[in-house]
Amino acid sequence: MAKSLFEEKLNSDRFLVTTEVGPPKGVDISEMVHHIELLKDKVDAINITDHQSSVMRFPSLGGCLLVKEHGGEPILQMTTRDRNRLALQADLLLAYSQGIRNVLCLTGDSIDVGDHKEARPVFDLDSVQLIVTVRTMESGKDLGGTDLKGAPEFCIGASVHPAADFIEPQLIKFEKKVAAGAQFFQTQGVFNFDTLRRFMQYARQFDVKILAGIIVLASARMAQYMNDNVPGVIVPQAVIDELAGVEKGKGLQKGIEIAAGLIKTIKEANVCHGVHIMAVGRESIVPEILEAAGLGIGAHV
Amino acid sequence: MIVAEQKPFQEIRGLIASYEKILVLGCGTCMTVCGAGGEKEVSLLHGALRIAQARGGDESHSFLEYTVKRQCDSEFLDVLEDRVKELDAILSLGCGVGVQTVAARFPDTPVLPGVNTTFMGAAEELGVWDERCAACGDCRLAETAGICPITRCAKGILNGPCAGSKNGKCEANKDMDCAWTLIYKRLERLGQLEKMRRYYPPRNFRTIPRPRRITSKAGIELGGANG
Amino acid sequence: MDSALHDTYRSYSSNAAKRPSFDHTFVPPCQAACPLHMEIREYVDLIAQGRVMEALQVIREDNPFPSICAYICNHPCEDACRRGQIDKPIAIRALKRFAVEFGGDRVIQPEAETTHEERVAIVGSGSAGLSAAYYLRKLGYPVTVFEACSELGGMLRAGIPKYRLPREVLDTEVQRLIQMGVEIRTNTRVVSLDLLFDMDYKAVFITVGAAQSRRLGIEGEDKPGVVDAITFLREVNLGLRPSIGESVVVVGGGNVAVDAARTALRLDAKEVDLVCLESRQEMPAFESDIQAAVSEGIVINCSWGPRSIVGDDKVTGIEFVRCTSVFDGEGRFKPSFDESVKTSFTADTLIIAIGQVPQIPEDFRLRIGRGSTIRVDPVTLTTNREGVFAGGDAVTGPATVVQALATGRQAAFRIDDYLQHRYPLVGKEEKESLLGDLLPKTVEMIRKLNRFEPPVLPPQARAKQFEPVELVYDWESAVNEARRCLRCGMGAEILFQDKCAACLTCLRVCPYHVPYLDDSGTVQIPADQCQACGICVGECPARAIVLRKPQDRRHIDEELDHALKTAAQSKSKPLIIGFCCQYGLYGTGALARLWRQAKAGIWIVPVLCVAKIEAKHILRAFEMGAEGVFIAGCGQEQCAREDTAFWALQRIGKARKVLAQIGLEPKRLQAINLYPTETDPAKALDEFTEQVGELYLASAVGQEVKT
Repeated sequence: MAKSLFEEKLNSDRFLVTTEVGPPKGVDISEMVHHIELLKDKVDAINITDHQSSVMRFPSLGGCLLVKEHGGEPILQMTTRDRNRLALQADLLLAYSQGIRNVLCLTGDSIDVGDHKEARPVFDLDSVQLIVTVRTMESGKDLGGTDLKGAPEFCIGASVHPAADFIEPQLIKFEKKVAAGAQFFQTQGVFNFDTLRRFMQYARQFDVKILAGIIVLASARMAQYMNDNVPGVIVPQAVIDELAGVEKGKGLQKGIEIAAGLIKTIKEANVCHGVHIMAVGRESIVPEILEAAGLGIGAHV
Repeated sequence: MIVAEQKPFQEIRGLIASYEKILVLGCGTCMTVCGAGGEKEVSLLHGALRIAQARGGDESHSFLEYTVKRQCDSEFLDVLEDRVKELDAILSLGCGVGVQTVAARFPDTPVLPGVNTTFMGAAEELGVWDERCAACGDCRLAETAGICPITRCAKGILNGPCAGSKNGKCEANKDMDCAWTLIYKRLERLGQLEKMRRYYPPRNFRTIPRPRRITSKAGIELGGANG
Repeated sequence: MDSALHDTYRSYSSNAAKRPSFDHTFVPPCQAACPLHMEIREYVDLIAQGRVMEALQVIREDNPFPSICAYICNHPCEDACRRGQIDKPIAIRALKRFAVEFGGDRVIQPEAETTHEERVAIVGSGSAGLSAAYYLRKLGYPVTVFEACSELGGMLRAGIPKYRLPREVLDTEVQRLIQMGVEIRTNTRVVSLDLLFDMDYKAVFITVGAAQSRRLGIEGEDKPGVVDAITFLREVNLGLRPSIGESVVVVGGGNVAVDAARTALRLDAKEVDLVCLESRQEMPAFESDIQAAVSEGIVINCSWGPRSIVGDDKVTGIEFVRCTSVFDGEGRFKPSFDESVKTSFTADTLIIAIGQVPQIPEDFRLRIGRGSTIRVDPVTLTTNREGVFAGGDAVTGPATVVQALATGRQAAFRIDDYLQHRYPLVGKEEKESLLGDLLPKTVEMIRKLNRFEPPVLPPQARAKQFEPVELVYDWESAVNEARRCLRCGMGAEILFQDKCAACLTCLRVCPYHVPYLDDSGTVQIPADQCQACGICVGECPARAIVLRKPQDRRHIDEELDHALKTAAQSKSKPLIIGFCCQYGLYGTGALARLWRQAKAGIWIVPVLCVAKIEAKHILRAFEMGAEGVFIAGCGQEQCAREDTAFWALQRIGKARKVLAQIGLEPKRLQAINLYPTETDPAKALDEFTEQVGELYLASAVGQEVKT
């Protein structure tokens, strides 16, 4: 019996599409709600990010509740940067009780890249330990060893970095996450099909579902900035050059084109189980990308 | 080695502002080695404070200087016993441990810290100190080929790496190596990569509640075998 | 500042406060090798600093006749000099000559008063006798020197040629003795010691030398044209001009033989051959003299033993056989020959120089030992007769001038002990001698420099006249040669091991890799490797390292205090203090010009290398009123030590940080001529002076506005 709607879809043969919506820095959630409304029927699940890049925002748990409220399928992104094991377990209990059934277990970006640089980093757990925590709670106990009065159940996800410049340690980590109980993976941004293919040659031996992360770039400068400052993002020079080659104002168009093209290739090659589109603040263009990739309305519901 | 850095000069002047007779007290062990509070630094700071006062014109401190072998053992402070009565404050260039020991030993004299104790570390080369140990109390260097993930990984994770490592450098500080990249390479060199493949459960942070204590004394109760 | 607390609590151990500042230097090999035990390291260093008159004072303290030694000493100091382990030994003798000539040694009038009644007789006026006369006179004794010849000097006059020791130099020294009150009796041969005692002399010092030439003992030795070297040299040196032929053969391999050969060349000889038993390496004559002889055209023929002298009514030639070895297995003189290998030389003059022995009259009733020398106790120099002492060549056989001078000094003190009825106060060396060679890791880091050789007359110019062959250094060469000195034994030491935190800073900063960790984890700075640069002294965070020489330890503080005091009196503003390397101030190049161009308001604090300047010195200058401070060095290229410019700049950086903290502009502190830049140092100093002037005016105005 699948633990969530999303898990059902994972177990089918369909090519899946997920995307993420970033919460606001403040109490004005209108735009986030608008994005949720826009996307809920076009994708198989929506991630809500958890203080992405260590910038303080409206919590992912709150955003997932809104997704649920508006009829979408939420994936709760949970990082270990800000909460200790008590708080994490408590949030899992709350999430489950409100019908959230998918959780993406992440370590989280370091405090230093964000906007509260003097904050205390928690990291009481890391991503692997968080996966184990979820599994432990599913078995009816908390991390302290005490029985739970009612155990949660989650479809567990994690991240992996196929485009890392030094891949071997990343693969060791990946295997540890699989062994710990991760069921699906959303990768860090890939820009090169070959990179993805090579990774999948190795990864398909494991009984997990992989969704390739697709980042939408809007300009060469954005690409360079992400390269230099955003953890986990490595944009190849060829892509930066391609973006640099277009005239001013046409950058986003190019970015969409690149993203869509990549998604199409991935789907046609059937190399992995789907894609996870990261529009980084431009959630409203996701439908356009889906169109361009041939995954428009109707293809999914 | 405990490594510290002298506080900014203006901050020190602020600390001593309301005191007249001040002893600048150096430490002959760690603070000498890391160049923050040995006899030479004491002398230099004293000179600078004197000149600053002469130029400033409105303060009236008088300074003494002295350096003990260590400030963290009270016996080394015996030599100051008689002099302390005449002092209004002690500006200690010892590490945090030293400052507190001096303060405990002379509870009637304000003791001011002159350095910021920063970390436990080693000199990679002359004049350059890197943090190496976080005193976590649960040393696992055997599992990580002698490279500490608590101090050298910005996130301190035990199942590393994270995805932020680029060119072998850490996402948080591009001048620092990604500890897990180093650990992988050294485990590979030792032929012990399986240590990295193991799952490491969450850390025992219970070592952290402060202050910790270690006792080497045995508690002996008389009677029975202890006759 | 409460200096009482500071001084009392200088270290941890309670005894340290009472510990006085000892001289912890070691006796360097040059001084240990010198029979007169002269403070060579000290006077060479003074010459390097340009303080030549002070160098001369040091020289005079231990040497009765510096100018004589300056010309002809065989310099055992140079043979022991450890610079030889790097490139070439320091030219110590030539430097002494420089000091003597520069300082005008000749014009000093020494004084001596008579404080004793006991009269002392000295028989023989060679080096040992004159030296004893000098010291005895200084001790206050009435001294009479008896000399059989018409002039004083012994071998100095009669044996050593004028081109090695000019006669004016000898005469000046003799004159000085006379002015000191030594009584001279020339043309007086002493035949009986009893007579001297009858004349009421209380002690007698026999220094008749070894002036009797050995004979070959072969056929033909008495033919006309054959002369012994001593007689020959004496005649030449006393102004007679003995006739010699054009083709001269000198038999012998020692200094007398070489002197005779070179003298003959300067007379009528056209060809001079020197023939000796020894192989080239075995020849006992001084190497430099042999080379000089060769360059003058004398032919050296080695490993030949004389067999017979040929000629009828006068000598026409001499025949030799091959000498296969000179010394036997135990090093004794026992030549062996191969009679089948023969050679012969034609000669119209034959000079025999195969060794000299003393000629002691039987009436002296002295016990005579091997080689016809007088037997004495080596410590007291007493003979078998009460009150009779002996020394010099008469006791040792032919030896060196400096050894004889040392013996003369020793005899004077022993005679003093005897006459005052004391046990000999044999001076015990309080300091240890430096032993050990430089380690390869140290040698590697020392820059190789060519030895500045003293200039010499070209060989052609020497041939027919008796002017001194060696000329004196010019100023620059002398200073630069003196700077090559390694200053053995006066480097740094960890004086306060209890303060040492074993931080290893000294290990890491030393350019010569001298400090090391011993097996017990203690840092050691071996005295025999330290190059005395001073870098570690300033870098030690615990102040545990000091320079061994007490005068070095507070040198900069004292010089700075002196400059500040003088500056305070002059009241010129703004005050600029310049720490300048003393070694460079008198040397070549930029720093010398700087010194001369220093304007009013600039006060130079001479330091013995910029590596010894610490941030605290700079701060003190500012504290005591300097508006600007500069540090001027020889430049890393010129500096005799490595890495000095680097560390001087590091300390400047540190001082600037402190200055900024206390509200003084970092540009008030400047480095000049440490590293090459486009700007001429004198110009840089001008610009700096101007800049400081502006800052001074600005702050003076600021002060006014405040009030």
